[in-house]
Amino acid sequence: MTVPAARIGPVPSESGPATGGPARELADVSVMIGGQGGDGTLTVTDLLARYFRKRGLYVYASRNVLSRIRGGHADASVRGSRDPISAVKHQVDVIVAFDAQAIEIGQHELAPHGFVLYDSTTFRSDLPNSAGFPFATLVGGPLGQPIFKNTAAYGALSVLFGFDPAMTKAVIEERFRRRSPEALEKNLKALEIGRKAALEAPGVPNRFAVVSGDAHDAILTTGNQAVALGFVVGGGRFFAGYPITPATEVMEYLQRYLPAFNGVVRQAEDELAAINMIIGASYAGARVMTSTSGPGLSLMTEGIGHAATAEIPIVVADCQRVGPSTGQPTRHEQSDLSHLANLGHGEYPRFILAPADPHDAFEVTIESLNLAERWRLPVILLLDQALSQNTTTSARFDLSKAHVDRGKRLNPEAAAALAQYKVYEFTSDGVSPFAPPGTPGLWSEITGNEHDEWGHVSVNPTNRIKMMDKRMEKMVRARDELPASRFFGPADAKIGLIGFGSTSGPILEAQAVLAARGIPTRYLQARTLYPVPTHEIGPFLDRVDRAYVVENNYTGQFARLLRETMPERHAKIRSVRRYDGYTFRAVDIVAGMESAV
Amino acid sequence: MTGTLSAKPVPPIWCPGCGDFSVLAAVKKAASNLKIAPHDLVLVGGIGCSGSIHNFLEVNGIHALHGRLLAQAVGVKLANPALTVVAAGGDGDGYAIGMGHFIHAFKKNASILYLVMNNETYGLTKGQASPTSQLGFEGNVEPPFHSILTALSIPAPNFIARTFSGDPKSMIAILEEALRFNREGRGFAFVEDLSPCVTYNDTYKVWREKIIDVTTLTGYDPTDRKAMFRICLEQVEAGRLPVGVMHRPKELAQDGLEVKLLGDRPGPVRTDIRVEPNLAAYQKLLAGMA
Repeated sequence: MTVPAARIGPVPSESGPATGGPARELADVSVMIGGQGGDGTLTVTDLLARYFRKRGLYVYASRNVLSRIRGGHADASVRGSRDPISAVKHQVDVIVAFDAQAIEIGQHELAPHGFVLYDSTTFRSDLPNSAGFPFATLVGGPLGQPIFKNTAAYGALSVLFGFDPAMTKAVIEERFRRRSPEALEKNLKALEIGRKAALEAPGVPNRFAVVSGDAHDAILTTGNQAVALGFVVGGGRFFAGYPITPATEVMEYLQRYLPAFNGVVRQAEDELAAINMIIGASYAGARVMTSTSGPGLSLMTEGIGHAATAEIPIVVADCQRVGPSTGQPTRHEQSDLSHLANLGHGEYPRFILAPADPHDAFEVTIESLNLAERWRLPVILLLDQALSQNTTTSARFDLSKAHVDRGKRLNPEAAAALAQYKVYEFTSDGVSPFAPPGTPGLWSEITGNEHDEWGHVSVNPTNRIKMMDKRMEKMVRARDELPASRFFGPADAKIGLIGFGSTSGPILEAQAVLAARGIPTRYLQARTLYPVPTHEIGPFLDRVDRAYVVENNYTGQFARLLRETMPERHAKIRSVRRYDGYTFRAVDIVAGMESAV
Repeated sequence: MTGTLSAKPVPPIWCPGCGDFSVLAAVKKAASNLKIAPHDLVLVGGIGCSGSIHNFLEVNGIHALHGRLLAQAVGVKLANPALTVVAAGGDGDGYAIGMGHFIHAFKKNASILYLVMNNETYGLTKGQASPTSQLGFEGNVEPPFHSILTALSIPAPNFIARTFSGDPKSMIAILEEALRFNREGRGFAFVEDLSPCVTYNDTYKVWREKIIDVTTLTGYDPTDRKAMFRICLEQVEAGRLPVGVMHRPKELAQDGLEVKLLGDRPGPVRTDIRVEPNLAAYQKLLAGMA
């Protein structure tokens, strides 16, 4: 995916001129919706995302909810753009406020042409470019409950943006059809109430016009959904997890998908149980995964080391949030990398793979299952809150490249042909053939103790060295099989950018901003973070004058890892960091590069 | 023997006279009586002297992390319900570091056997007080935990029993019943064996005097949870060690977690996971995305 430079000049409008003057046409529109938890801000977000999607726009919706079910301020934003985007816009065009806090927070980012729609039931705003509607009161009378105020607000928004009325309605039908006929009917009424109120308000109808796009083939999805789907297609059939934000949806999707494929999903009593359940299931011969976030990862660390030493393939999806401790459960950070690279007591091999967007997450999840089994070790699938939970348009997931590689797994025929079965046999690539329990005529001993080839506990120093080398060298031998980095921008650019995970979206947009200023950049999106792909990043650093490593943490963890593994290129590495719980916007990266040391 | 040569058992690491020898012999005998093939039997060992039991048998052995054997055993069973799964460990492993998983195992009710060799001490680390140690043992000031009373307090259709290493005959019969219970998909079987540690807590003599076979007591009815709780509590309070079958469900149903989740379906391991045979279903799944 590349982001072209911002287009300048008139763009075709989807609706006629505004009543009070010409509509401002928007090819890249950002709406922030805020209110108290339970006000339904996420519903408005979802409805808008669906509408933009129907217009063929690229969509990026991010939520910024507090970790509670009801109460407390929560806000979200939706962006629709004619050009591919995967980041939050630097400005907000419209704020929808169900509480005064939404305006307080949002007005600093409101564009000069921006407008505020708010629910005047409980407060008033004196901002010039604003219109208040008592949504809660308007719907409360005819519909009996104020909760439909969110759909009424969507109705008002549709008028403000000059949305096509039939398509606006179709979105409501699509969203509420599966609930109940009553819910659909009430929401359709609420939509009309909101539309009517807005149509009568001066300065509101057709104030903006949103262009159409051509992203009609795209799907609307999240990283967590992509991981769940990748797991199913990659042959994953056993999942155990423990609810934790922002990873829970992986388990919830799999609860829906897996039973139809003979799979099993269990919610465990804690993360210790979850990781050990997948270890047991993998040993039995299933393809397995768990998903978690920081605090759960800390508990799972014990099991991950065990899996590596016992050579049991597992995949752990870590959806990073702000840490340490409980940190900020709903906020974005990329601060688990140092921990993961040095995970656990003792020394053992692991792969850390980091997809950038849902499409990538689908592919990398499938690959992580293959790699775990091919090399018989733990694979960490590294996500972050924004990738996990933000909704974005994506190219349809590609099944043509999907494949299942079970490595040196022995089928009963191959097992029967063996003269002897050593479960930890020394081989040229360090991987021993494995036959799961139940294979007729043979059995094995598996252990986290240091062991000999038969799996018998061993304290023999020569054996210890051979076994350590067998396991550790997997990281060297597997290098060419690990997901390759991706490159964007002209190959001869002298300024480099390096990033991973959802940070890729704003980096690509920053490249476009810089290109428009006449500054070409080359971006390396790392998809394997550990073992560090020095064979890719080394030559990349050699070609540029300097490279900015962009990441969401305090210490510049990836930059440090690169400096540590490539000390001779130390001087070329600059660090751009953000650690306030928010994702980068393109403007932040550009500003960060200007001030980076 | 013919065919593939697999891992050979190693000699037990236990002290001569250790109660765990009885358990090893009983597991071997029960499995052989039920004609369970070694390749279909998985023994999940905990950490501690008793947890090394899988090394001394011709079976599939997996040595779990300290306290995590039940989670691994449940994972094995749910992935391939055709396997017979036995988790075996000690009182420290099960009732201290593994307590959370212990309680949940009854609730989960997967058809696995959990065999705890209770010696009221941490033998491998040289005799510290364990959750079941008596008051005063190695300066212990916490009252001992009682696994059978805890097990009976969880309203799930489990098989619950207690044996004594000094009575291997009864132990074999109970292990056979427990394994049959598992293999018929009825759910979780918990058997605690009183297994003296001859080195750090040699209790053979004392325990032999205190052992009481619950089946001989008035009102004994293992399908009546309330009656069994009362009987056991009375015996415990009287300073005796009740043994025997403490609970078996009145109605023998296929209540095992693996049956509830999978029914007759083969489960995760015995399912074809290649892309090709699943392609149409995958296409349908992806087509459902907005």
